[in-house]
Amino acid sequence: MAASIADVRSALSISAPSPSTPGPSQLKKQPSQSIRKPEGISRELYSLIGPSAPTLAAQLAKPRLKQKPNLGGGGKVKWEWRTFKNSARTDSLELGHWVKANSDPNAEYTFAKYNVQHTVYSWTQDEYTRYLQDPEWTPEESQYLFKLAVEYDLRWYIIHDRYHYPTGVTRELEDLKDRYFSICRKLVRNRPWNGDETSKNQLLASFSFDKEREQLRKKYVANLENRNPEQVQEEEALYLEVKRLEQNERKFKREREELLRTLAGIDSGLPDIVEDEATFFTVDTSKLQKKKNRGTDLDSPSVSSAPSVTKRAPVVKDPVEDAKHCIIRTELSATTPATKAAHTPAYMRSFKLPYPKAAIAPRVTQVLSELGISPSRLVMPTRDNCQRLESLMDEATTLVELKKAVDKVIQDIEVTKARLDLRETEGEEPARHPETDLEMDERGTIEPEGEDGRAQSVVSTRSTRSRKHSRRSMSVSSVDTTATSSARPATKRQKRG
Amino acid sequence: MVNYGGDEVSALVLDIGTSSTRAGYAGDDTPKAIIPTSYGVVPSPDTDAQMGDTNQTAERRQVYLGHSGPSLWRANMEIHNPIVDGLIQDFNPIPALIRHAFEDTMRCSPSEHPVLVTEPAWNTPANRERMAEIMFEEFQVPAFYIANTGVLNTFAAGKGSALVIDIGQSMASVVPVVDGFVLRKGLAQSTLPQLVHAAARQLLTNPTQTRHPIDLSPHQLIASKQPVEPNAPPKYTLREDRVSVTSQSWRTWAENREVEEWVQSVAGVLDQGWNDQSAAMRPPRQYEFPTGFNPWFGPERFQIGEQFFWNSPQTMASPNPPRIIPNLISDSLRACEPELRQVLMGNVVLTGGGSLFAGFADRLANEMMRSFPHTKVHAPGNPIERRYGGWLGGSILASLGTFHQLWISREEWQEHGTAIVGQRCK
Repeated sequence: MAASIADVRSALSISAPSPSTPGPSQLKKQPSQSIRKPEGISRELYSLIGPSAPTLAAQLAKPRLKQKPNLGGGGKVKWEWRTFKNSARTDSLELGHWVKANSDPNAEYTFAKYNVQHTVYSWTQDEYTRYLQDPEWTPEESQYLFKLAVEYDLRWYIIHDRYHYPTGVTRELEDLKDRYFSICRKLVRNRPWNGDETSKNQLLASFSFDKEREQLRKKYVANLENRNPEQVQEEEALYLEVKRLEQNERKFKREREELLRTLAGIDSGLPDIVEDEATFFTVDTSKLQKKKNRGTDLDSPSVSSAPSVTKRAPVVKDPVEDAKHCIIRTELSATTPATKAAHTPAYMRSFKLPYPKAAIAPRVTQVLSELGISPSRLVMPTRDNCQRLESLMDEATTLVELKKAVDKVIQDIEVTKARLDLRETEGEEPARHPETDLEMDERGTIEPEGEDGRAQSVVSTRSTRSRKHSRRSMSVSSVDTTATSSARPATKRQKRG
Repeated sequence: MVNYGGDEVSALVLDIGTSSTRAGYAGDDTPKAIIPTSYGVVPSPDTDAQMGDTNQTAERRQVYLGHSGPSLWRANMEIHNPIVDGLIQDFNPIPALIRHAFEDTMRCSPSEHPVLVTEPAWNTPANRERMAEIMFEEFQVPAFYIANTGVLNTFAAGKGSALVIDIGQSMASVVPVVDGFVLRKGLAQSTLPQLVHAAARQLLTNPTQTRHPIDLSPHQLIASKQPVEPNAPPKYTLREDRVSVTSQSWRTWAENREVEEWVQSVAGVLDQGWNDQSAAMRPPRQYEFPTGFNPWFGPERFQIGEQFFWNSPQTMASPNPPRIIPNLISDSLRACEPELRQVLMGNVVLTGGGSLFAGFADRLANEMMRSFPHTKVHAPGNPIERRYGGWLGGSILASLGTFHQLWISREEWQEHGTAIVGQRCK
């Protein structure tokens, strides 16, 4: 009985065993049965997942080595040993070198083109006698010079080094150059010229040589080199010193300008002052801070730097100049000790605007606002305006106080009158008249003055506004009105114009 | 092949120096054959009988060249060197030397290659013509060129203009090179290395308080030796069989080699000028001679290098003291145009095997800085480049495409004769 398992199966009509339990014999068969394993999948993986491999994996190419770059030429380059003739040579020497087999065997030698010759000037006897005579040079020596010049391609140091003419005259490098270039110049000038004038002039310019200047230059170079180490050192030290001084000067100047700008703003009269908002703002804020800190840190640099300016001021005290620039100096009394604390630094006029007494301040402000004047802000705090504002403020204060007094008196009178009415009902009329008289009187005396002050101040403000202004007051006003107004830029722009 | 203007025509480069002869292919960075220039001659026993006839003597004597030439001990072998003060004095052994370099060492035939030969800057026209004759007539070279070592050293440093300071075995020279030409007026050379060598020899062979004179016998003459403590007297026996038949010239040559070796490994120079304190600060160095004697050398080892930069009273007393390096430089510069000095000092090339002397490059830079603050010294760190700078420059020059128009061809040689050499090789 040689029936195989397959026969038994077919007899019992059992299907072939499933691939999940393969027998050893089937394992071998499987590769031939299955469709070809796609590339990019390892054999083991394929045998696990079978033909249901994801398409993507099947598309993946088998990992390969990086492709070799194709450098053209396609494949092998053949080189061959070839003899060549150099066209820069006058003889028939043939040297050999390796060249690519595909190159042109009859091509000109690549390096022959670098054999550049200078144009050589030569002259006839006639030309020499006519143009080129020089008492210091013989025709033969001139010829010798030109021969060397050609031989060494106008490398003058070499020509000078190798120059040995038997006559024994030692020639300097400048002599040789001078002779050579002068001959070239004369020949170019006196020979018929085919080209245009500019090229001729260019050629002539290339032959120009100033012997004296060259000699002088050389002397300078020699002098420069003959300095001994001490001299070199001294020179270097001096140079450094100069550099340092210049730098110090520049630094000092910059700091001074900064200071002036900070303290005096446009008053400083610096030519390059920048009148833009940003600077003013920064200056202003610093001012404000200073104002805030004034009491506490007198030693802070911003404060202590101020006296340096006022200190310098007396040195240049000049009444005419002061008047011209509207500088007002506060003279220190001789008894005041010259300490920092006792010193009055330069200040903004607008800082010292008068303030009404705290008790009646609202009333005074009200009076002023009725007049259309803001006491804390002067557009043009010139000296006059400040004074006027001050006087106006005084007047207003007086007025307010008088009014108060009058009101009090009237009140008193009212009270007394009421009391009187209670006692006896007659005698009202005579008591009333003096009061109204008084009131009228007071009004009469005060009002015109107040009116006058207001008018003046308004007029002066308006007029200054329309006028073209000296810059000085502008910055001061801006300092004063820093944080508050949005109208300020407008006014300033107006003033600037 | 056109990279960097190179076009190799398989030229040979030959550089004959006092201590060694270098030969190789143009385009290489190292010479293929480096053989000693000295050679040994063993006269045949019967020369005494025919002293009168020089031709026969020449035939009978045996010449030993190359690495197993002078350095191998042979009975009665005399050592000769054809070079005196950098110039070839005796042309008789030169063809044999060249043949040994080209044919025995490099295994090539000079008749198939153009040959570039170097010459020192102070070479005579007769010498270079003789060299051309040897190359064309004896070696049948197709083309020949003779170039100046100063120029070649400049090229080896990648420059066109330079002040080349070349310290060889026998000569120290300062050569100003401008645009690839030597300024002959600025040439300065002296026999300073010989003086330094003599000073080193004197230091070793003269007794000091702590040391007996040192026996410089080479290892070829020593039969046996025993290890000894440092500074203790050596225990060795000489090969008596050899000592009696050793020629004086071989002995001198061998002893000089010992001195040279000692100089190379022990001697030095202080980089800031002589100063007893700083010399004492430097660590001493031990050196073992072939006899087994191994002393420590302290500050004395720095005195040797001072000879390069400072003339000792003894040398000043001699009738014609060789010029020291700073003098050579200043003499050379004085002869140059003032405006060239700046260029030259910015391109100082230090070359030659002698410049590998320990501390030499630093000292030289310091010395030059003192008088020329803008000095730039180019000293290759690679000893091969330093020692064979001349050969390297020749290798560069002979493999340039633009150079090939300068070769003196056989044809030209036959047509113009010796005159073409001076005309072409400017």
